[in-house]
Amino acid sequence: MARYGMVIDLDICIGCNACTMACKSEHATPGGIFWGKVLEKEVGKFPAARRIFLPVLCNHCKNPICMEVCPTGATYQREDGIVLIDYDLCLGCRSCMEACPYGPRAFYAGDGAYYENGRTPFEEAKQHFPEGIVMKCNFCVDRVDQGLNPACVQTCPTECRIFGDLDDPQSEVSRMAAEKKARPLLPEKGLEPSVFYIGG
Amino acid sequence: MAARIDEFLIDVRPQREWGWLVISYLFLGGAGAGLFLVSLYLEHLWAGVLGLLVLLVGTVLLLLDLGRPERFWRAFFRPQTSWISRGCFFITLLFVLGVIELALQWPGLELPAWLSEGTTLRTSLRVAGGGAAVLVMIYTGFVLAPSPAIPFWNSAFFPIIFFAYSLLAGIDILILTSPMLPGPSLDLMLLERNQNYLVILCLLLVLSHVSVMSSSAVAARESIRLLTRGRWASLFLGGVIGAGLIVPLLLALPVVWEAQVQTVFALTFILALLRLFGDYLFRFLVMRVGLYDPLL
Repeated sequence: MARYGMVIDLDICIGCNACTMACKSEHATPGGIFWGKVLEKEVGKFPAARRIFLPVLCNHCKNPICMEVCPTGATYQREDGIVLIDYDLCLGCRSCMEACPYGPRAFYAGDGAYYENGRTPFEEAKQHFPEGIVMKCNFCVDRVDQGLNPACVQTCPTECRIFGDLDDPQSEVSRMAAEKKARPLLPEKGLEPSVFYIGG
Repeated sequence: MAARIDEFLIDVRPQREWGWLVISYLFLGGAGAGLFLVSLYLEHLWAGVLGLLVLLVGTVLLLLDLGRPERFWRAFFRPQTSWISRGCFFITLLFVLGVIELALQWPGLELPAWLSEGTTLRTSLRVAGGGAAVLVMIYTGFVLAPSPAIPFWNSAFFPIIFFAYSLLAGIDILILTSPMLPGPSLDLMLLERNQNYLVILCLLLVLSHVSVMSSSAVAARESIRLLTRGRWASLFLGGVIGAGLIVPLLLALPVVWEAQVQTVFALTFILALLRLFGDYLFRFLVMRVGLYDPLL
């Protein structure tokens, strides 16, 4: 069975947020909620100051703490490693958000419209989230099941994201991870994330 | 709904998900269970009733905090891994055993011989009720402690701290309500003396936790900075440590040295209020200084 994962090359990322917008477009996530986003930080001092970018999303950990703390079983993991939320089971207790060190989850209280004058036709057509639940990146599971890449990977203009099967040593994602010594975020937390970073 | 700018920065992030409803539950749930535990020791029916009522109010607040309160029953489904799920069982167990215990203590009730005071079954019910109360007092510490995300919470101290604070708060509620409670009168001087030991225990535990965390992960050190020198320093040092623990300890000296009964009576009320204020403030600050480590 595959174990899906992603490698992100921080040396190539230009912080354009195309992935952020592709994700919002794909999932019609409510206003103020981002399943994937690009964090930034200013490092160094003038004249050598620069900004660094860090694209983040759910890490679909091998040992997902969010699944462990969930009191209802709403958070679950597929055999291919993708961690999902069953909105029909979620209580909205947010214990998963408190337990995850990566911060990709968001609580949806309701009224997801971006603009004050109500929902746009796009939101009317695509945004069907129940209120009072927690949501997060699902690795574009519908696309993956069709053999496609997640929207963020498909959209990235610099091709800094590679998606694939981490258990297949011949896959591009596995080769990149091995050749460029990819590392996960906060490995000391022991959650074995499936999203790795190179460069930076 | 606009996103906050700091959500896009690589930095230490504060937890914002659990607010005053959860804080109030931590306080009332612990205090209610603590009061029930003390009522078993004192064999005081009305103190037990009050303890369960306080726990009930706390539990209602916790339900109101859920995004989907009508689905609360689903929280019983994962006790094998989730402390929130286990907590649901502990609270239910305490309510069930508590109501049985109080019903058996009801004045004028004629009990069969096998249920009367001193029988094995009666003692077992009381011990089980006390055990359930202890579990309710400490489980919230276990909800916080295993979290690898927030280093300040990731500490074995929390279950013990919450136990000590819950017992302290339970007895303080008993002291404050004692003039109104029916049933046998309470020895306030004895209760107050015992509170001093609990205050010293809380002080030692809180200071030990602060000491351990000050050399821990980046986010934990920032939590300690906020508590001791930053935004929350005046509330922590002045409120939790000063007004909530040290001042009651110093003011309680006349009680220890057996002053006039009238003095003790007035003083214990003030001390109980100060300690309850410190307890609520402590739980408030634990939530407010919960910070996530920076991702890079």
